[in-house]
Amino acid sequence: MDPRTALGRAAAAVDVTKVYGKGDAAVTALGGVSVGFAPGEFSAIMGPSGSGKSTLLHCLAGLDTVTSGQVFIGEVELTALKEKQLTRLRRDKLGFIFQSYNLVPTLNALENITLPLAIAGRKPDPGWLDLLVDAVGLRDRLAHRPSELSGGQQQRVAAARAMLGRPAIIFADEPTGNLDSRAGAELLAYIRRAVTELGQTVVMVTHDATAAAHADRVVFLADGHIVDELLEPTADAILERIKVLGG
Amino acid sequence: MLRATIKALLAHKLRLALTAVSVVLGVAFVAGTLVLTDTIASAFERLFADVNAGTEVSVRTRSSFEEGAAPVPAGLVDTIAGIDGVEAVEGSLFGVAQLVDKSGKAIATQGPTVGTAWVDSPDLNPFRLRRGRGPRAAGEVVIDAGTAREHGFELGDAVTVLSQGPPETFTVVGIAGFGDADNPAGGALISFVDDAARQVLGRPAGFDSIEVAAAEGVTQAELRARIAAVLPVGVEAMTGEATAKESAERVQDNLGFFGTLLLVFAGVSLFVGAFIILNTFQILVAQRTRELGLLRALGASGAQVRRSVLTEAAIVGTVASGAGLGLGVVVALALQRLLESFGIDLPAAETRFRSRTVVVSLVVGFGVTVASSVLPARRAAKVPPVAAIREDVAIDEGGPLRRRTVLGVVVSAAGFAVLLAGTAGAGNGAAYVGVGSLVGFLGATLIAPVATRPVARVVGAPLAGLGVIGRLGRENAMRNPRRTASTAAALMVGLALVTLVSVFAASARKSTDKVIDDVFRADLVLNASQQFATFSPEVARRVRAVPDVDAVAEVRRGEWRSRGARNFLSAADPAELARVLDLELEAGRLEDLADGGVLVHDDEARAKGFEVGELLPMEFPRTGVQRIRIEGIFGANQLTGDYLLSLRDYEANFTDQLDSYAMVKLRAGVDRTAARSAVEDVLAAFPNVELQDQEEFKSEVAGHVDQILNLFYALLGLAILIAVMGIVNTLALSIFERTRELGLLRAVGTSRRQIRAMVRAEGSIIAVLGALFGLVIGVVVSVAMLQALRDDGITETAIPVGRLALFVALAAAAGLGAAVFPARRAARLQILDAIAHE
Repeated sequence: MDPRTALGRAAAAVDVTKVYGKGDAAVTALGGVSVGFAPGEFSAIMGPSGSGKSTLLHCLAGLDTVTSGQVFIGEVELTALKEKQLTRLRRDKLGFIFQSYNLVPTLNALENITLPLAIAGRKPDPGWLDLLVDAVGLRDRLAHRPSELSGGQQQRVAAARAMLGRPAIIFADEPTGNLDSRAGAELLAYIRRAVTELGQTVVMVTHDATAAAHADRVVFLADGHIVDELLEPTADAILERIKVLGG
Repeated sequence: MLRATIKALLAHKLRLALTAVSVVLGVAFVAGTLVLTDTIASAFERLFADVNAGTEVSVRTRSSFEEGAAPVPAGLVDTIAGIDGVEAVEGSLFGVAQLVDKSGKAIATQGPTVGTAWVDSPDLNPFRLRRGRGPRAAGEVVIDAGTAREHGFELGDAVTVLSQGPPETFTVVGIAGFGDADNPAGGALISFVDDAARQVLGRPAGFDSIEVAAAEGVTQAELRARIAAVLPVGVEAMTGEATAKESAERVQDNLGFFGTLLLVFAGVSLFVGAFIILNTFQILVAQRTRELGLLRALGASGAQVRRSVLTEAAIVGTVASGAGLGLGVVVALALQRLLESFGIDLPAAETRFRSRTVVVSLVVGFGVTVASSVLPARRAAKVPPVAAIREDVAIDEGGPLRRRTVLGVVVSAAGFAVLLAGTAGAGNGAAYVGVGSLVGFLGATLIAPVATRPVARVVGAPLAGLGVIGRLGRENAMRNPRRTASTAAALMVGLALVTLVSVFAASARKSTDKVIDDVFRADLVLNASQQFATFSPEVARRVRAVPDVDAVAEVRRGEWRSRGARNFLSAADPAELARVLDLELEAGRLEDLADGGVLVHDDEARAKGFEVGELLPMEFPRTGVQRIRIEGIFGANQLTGDYLLSLRDYEANFTDQLDSYAMVKLRAGVDRTAARSAVEDVLAAFPNVELQDQEEFKSEVAGHVDQILNLFYALLGLAILIAVMGIVNTLALSIFERTRELGLLRAVGTSRRQIRAMVRAEGSIIAVLGALFGLVIGVVVSVAMLQALRDDGITETAIPVGRLALFVALAAAAGLGAAVFPARRAARLQILDAIAHE
């Protein structure tokens, strides 16, 4: 992909390679990946274990460095930023949802939701906060600490946290991986609404076809390369495609 | 299992190092103390062996005192000279004398400054002439080469000597070395002809001892027996070997106290170290829950797991003790420098490293480490196998804090009671105080966790200024109260002791000020310019002759014994003393002392059941046991001690007549400035005496207190350093535990600087917590002890608030410092490592 076509996208990787280790021990996790994600789109990245899907997400989110190539968030070339600028970009422009919730155990639900803004020294917009809290259905759990919440509730706290800063894009890494199917479905429905109703851009890594079926588009990764893509997917179509790809 | 333990240890070198550091430092202190005291002891042994090298037999008056015995009749020299097998015999005189340097200052030396009669026989004289000759006339002296070199004295120079009489001037005719050394143990020598020595040192007749050299083929024992046969009752003969041994033992006895003091501080360091070890192992076991569960799942028994933790502790203990032993040599040197900087000078000598030092250090280090790991090992043994596979199996951190708190209250109350019983004089006071404070501290650490949350909340409140970062730091400090409390407890012990000595020092100072205000009626004080030094009674005599001076009360100090037990007394002229000091007499009159007798302090009299009019058997160095009439009971003992003897009795029963200080009262209505300068004119001839007014006298006494206080601070410094290491340790391990959380914080945009600030906040909260706990304990205990000790001179209680506040501030700074390394580690954490790995 030409770097210029990356412009106008919410996020894009241009010819990104990622090699771990050196010499004989070198492992190529990404072998020249170019992919873009449109604003307001809910994308899923799928692939078998070791396909590089998590690495791609981490590189897109600036959590990991690339070996070569470029990563863009909006108009900003992430790969050209210094550590401090990168930290600020993550704080102000990106949202994260992780598999293992990753809440701060010493803070209650409300404090966890407002954490990124508090770190930036900013006050949340009260109307927006109310809306998010109600959307995730945590109104009566705000004073509870993570240890007093169920897995599903914790992950919804994480989702609200990711949304609060009105990020340009939210990266979700196996967000339903630790949840039972009901809690997982609730979370995905919430993410879907955020995309549809609020125009939030979301990129999600998953290996669960049911989860990926909530997305607008699925990108398939194998051995560090993009091997296929599916628009308006259904769970069955995805499973079909995985079978073909030998996942 | 052993192989797995060793592998685990090697895989975690940092963990090993962190645990070991506290043991290393504690053991180093113990080893350093032993090395230092051994080194000093051997230096003195060698010194005395050298001094006595040519002396086969020494004759002296039998006495249980170390010095000041009655002289031996001079006629014995001739008697002994006539004995078969005697090669040479010399009467020996020695006393205190001091030289004045070329700028008019009294020369202060590191070792003793001795005046002696010059001995011509090279066999019997440990000094060797380097230049010149021995003294032949009353106006001639030999001085030591060290003093000569340092102060630029040459043969033919005139030198002024300060001793028991008026200052006198002599001509240097010889410069002598002490064996190969320039001077004896950093001291100085002034040697006269016999008659001059008698006059200067105040020995009108007899000799302090008679030294005898044996003829070829006569053994020390044979010669001793022959001489002993002709000696009068009360005079004894000792072989040179026995004399050297006795002298060395005496010095060792005196140093024994000093060694014990250092070992007490070493003990404090180890006690603090034990907390760190306990805490570190506790955290490590918690972090290794999964690994331990795996071992259990693979079939290891609980006992095997327990043994594995204990083995780890044993290895750490052994390695750390070894390292501590090596570091001990460095500590010994540092301690020596430290003591020197506080004016406690020691002879130079080759470092002595005894096998006993090795054994004690290893046993202590090993013992403390293993003992401290018993609890964590027991906890480790309780990890169920399922912990290997399930993440949410929390290790048993003990039930609610209530039981622990109740136990803590009971234990600390018991410790406190024992401590108070000790200070109130029950049994062996020091042992009671020691055991009591140990138990009390343990109790306090049991209570500490329950206090941690509320106190941390308050202490951390100012950190709200840092926003959510400050809050997180505070929450982190509060999230595991046991861990925070045991980390803080290490600092608590050090701070409690620092507070204790500070309150004692401040109270002692306030008490002295009050005493001087209350009972002191003098205008000026004549004081020796060196601590513990004395000066010639000639000073008081001359000051008394100044027209503006109304009274001069000179005070001499001495030791006496009551059935072998040491006691101290002061002696003064009653008529003069009455005008400068209010003794608060309760019975008898001061004037009654004019004809001899003793006054006793009321508490002492009550404790011993003494009555006025009773004859008190007092053993004196010169005259042995004398029955002295108790003439009265007095209430103010701060300047004189518990026994006040008449000057007349002092002169009769003590050999040396030297004043410790003297109180001067001016005539009413005189011009004080003029009077003072008249007194100063007199003192011009005595550069070893200083003139002070009341305020200067107060600050002089305070200066002595501060000096001891600073020495204690320095010695407690190591315990505090170890405690700070403990904070480093806990923070580093906690951060390791919170890897994922830190990763998340970084992922959502927390900057490295913010992460560092968060860890530093946690560190300073832990440190301030420990400091506050220590402060409270220190103040409570010291106030209680001061109440119990009211009768022993410290009558006032003063709490140095400003200084204590400074300690808390320093603790906060130390906490910040302790957090530097862990904070850097936390900030460097790779975000991916933190969140990607489950």
